[in-house]
Amino acid sequence: MTLNLLMDSLVATLQVGSMYALMAVGLTLTFAVMRLPNFAHAELITVGAYAALMASLWFTQNPLLLGVIAFAVAAVAALLCHRAVYRPLQRLNPPIYIMILASFAVGLILRYLLFMLADGFELFDLRIAAPQTVLWQTSLLTVTSIFVWVTPTSIALVVALSLLLNRTSLGRQMRALADNATLARVIGIPVQRVHDVTWLLAGGLAGVGGALWGLNTFVNPLTGWLAILSVFAATVLGGMTSFVGAILGAYLVAFAENTVMQALNAWLGVSFALKPAIPFVIIMLVLLIRPQGLRTS
Amino acid sequence: MIFDPTATLISLLILFGISAIIALSLNLEYGIAGVPNFGQALFVSVGAYAAGVTYTRLLPLLAGQPALDPCGATLGQALQLRSEIMRTMPLVGLANFGLTLLIAAAVGGLVGYLLSYPALRLKEEWYLAFVLLVAGETARIFARSWEPLICGSNGLSAIAQPFAWVGDVRTKSLLFAGLTLLIALLVYLFCERLARSPYGRMLKAVRENDAVSAGLGKSVSRARGQVMFIGSAIAAVGGVLFVMNTGFASANDYGVALTLDVWVMIVLGGLGNNRGALLGALVVTVLDRFTSVFAIQMNMLGLQFEFNYVRYILFGVLLLVMLRYRSQGLWPEPLRTTQAHSMVERKMKSEG
Repeated sequence: MTLNLLMDSLVATLQVGSMYALMAVGLTLTFAVMRLPNFAHAELITVGAYAALMASLWFTQNPLLLGVIAFAVAAVAALLCHRAVYRPLQRLNPPIYIMILASFAVGLILRYLLFMLADGFELFDLRIAAPQTVLWQTSLLTVTSIFVWVTPTSIALVVALSLLLNRTSLGRQMRALADNATLARVIGIPVQRVHDVTWLLAGGLAGVGGALWGLNTFVNPLTGWLAILSVFAATVLGGMTSFVGAILGAYLVAFAENTVMQALNAWLGVSFALKPAIPFVIIMLVLLIRPQGLRTS
Repeated sequence: MIFDPTATLISLLILFGISAIIALSLNLEYGIAGVPNFGQALFVSVGAYAAGVTYTRLLPLLAGQPALDPCGATLGQALQLRSEIMRTMPLVGLANFGLTLLIAAAVGGLVGYLLSYPALRLKEEWYLAFVLLVAGETARIFARSWEPLICGSNGLSAIAQPFAWVGDVRTKSLLFAGLTLLIALLVYLFCERLARSPYGRMLKAVRENDAVSAGLGKSVSRARGQVMFIGSAIAAVGGVLFVMNTGFASANDYGVALTLDVWVMIVLGGLGNNRGALLGALVVTVLDRFTSVFAIQMNMLGLQFEFNYVRYILFGVLLLVMLRYRSQGLWPEPLRTTQAHSMVERKMKSEG
């Protein structure tokens, strides 16, 4: 493996890993607070990507504004799913599989709504129209403006979320609900409001993740679905309920998909066609060797 | 469009038979044993890939012909060879069909068992839902890029049904419908016997409360692994019939949308009730045919709109409505009592 390829793959690891981290903390949030492994998370990512894409085509190309729009639209979509589907269903106290099934159905409904939207406005496989420039190029490394948008934004949002969780009373309430829902109710935590905020945050982060993904590559109704297998692997690797774990997991999955893959290809001749199997391999290995993932307990 | 009621009915019967087999397998896994299989499309696709391999390798061998590369330069010849054999050599075709079923069932069962093995050993066994969903998507991406199975993304055509040698079109499809319904009936009888047997009661006990079952000395994870083996084998058999009905193997047919369809069938019919699974399969098949015919009609009227999207949205909404307002399904699981149980009940009644 040449140094050039190594540097490129490391840049890709950072960039893709940051986006996975954004998506994975949202998934971890809904799972930890609501006990719902939300299969519709992929479609929330796509909703954000489409919101940013449409805004970029029709009225603004400011990346910051696009991110805000993606956050808002996906957050509202997530809240709507919660109010319309998950909350009424959860009141019936069904087995967890029924909740998973419901989120599966919600995901497909959203996906085909997006297909209809894309069909109606001819929005297939477009890049979000933000200006792309090469900022810094040496013989070893190329850094584009996309990298500068994607990586710091993701890291800043993840840091903001951990501050919110650890330093504010809202965050304390969320963590209390995650630890022991019954006890949280008993001591008078406003469960409904905390749930609403959790969904807004999870959806919003997924939406920004989608918008960054669309800046990076392109947008189609399966954008989120392409990323979600890696995001699932990141959350499983992170131990499902741990935020630090999910973030570490995201970077590790990205590292495996870029740098490790590149090395396997260069030294052992492993075909890049095998790359999509990496999330699956990671999940299987985690379950076989260390089911609690990166969590310490 | 000329409407042919008999042909429509026959094709509906074939589709119903296939759906019934696949729905019965998921009902066995989730409805009866409580194992959440969110990768049903994967196990159905095993049947399609098995057929892809047997039609291009085994069939020429059985007919004493050299096997040609089905994807590369000899694509056309290989295609012609297998349709020729299916048309002129009935016994070879039927033997190949039987072997395909066996191979599909064996591979499907094994894949189901192996994939569920790691997750079933955990306390949080819902990890299985993740594993099977991810496995299904990974397998689909692979089948699209790995040529030996079904020629990658091009797919494999001319996978003829075993009665391709019959001259008359009507008789041919009638025979295939009969075969499909026969297999569906056998699967139904098998699942029904299984559910009523002591083993089936053990599975239901595991579903209701795994801690109590484990306390009574049942190995919960082993029972669930066995059910994944049986259910996946049945699903793969359904997959063989599925691919023979369309005549074309394409990895894109086996996405999450197919998995959701099967879940709609068993939730609609009634979780845990084999007859409910049949009812659900029937309703979904009829709805599916109806929406696709409607879509063609609308497109012929000049309405350029993809009605397939609406169909998926409709099915998703239907599933959510069922879960919310009638989670026991249209035909709920009946209460089963054993002789001993009813004797105890009678005795308790007579003693007040």
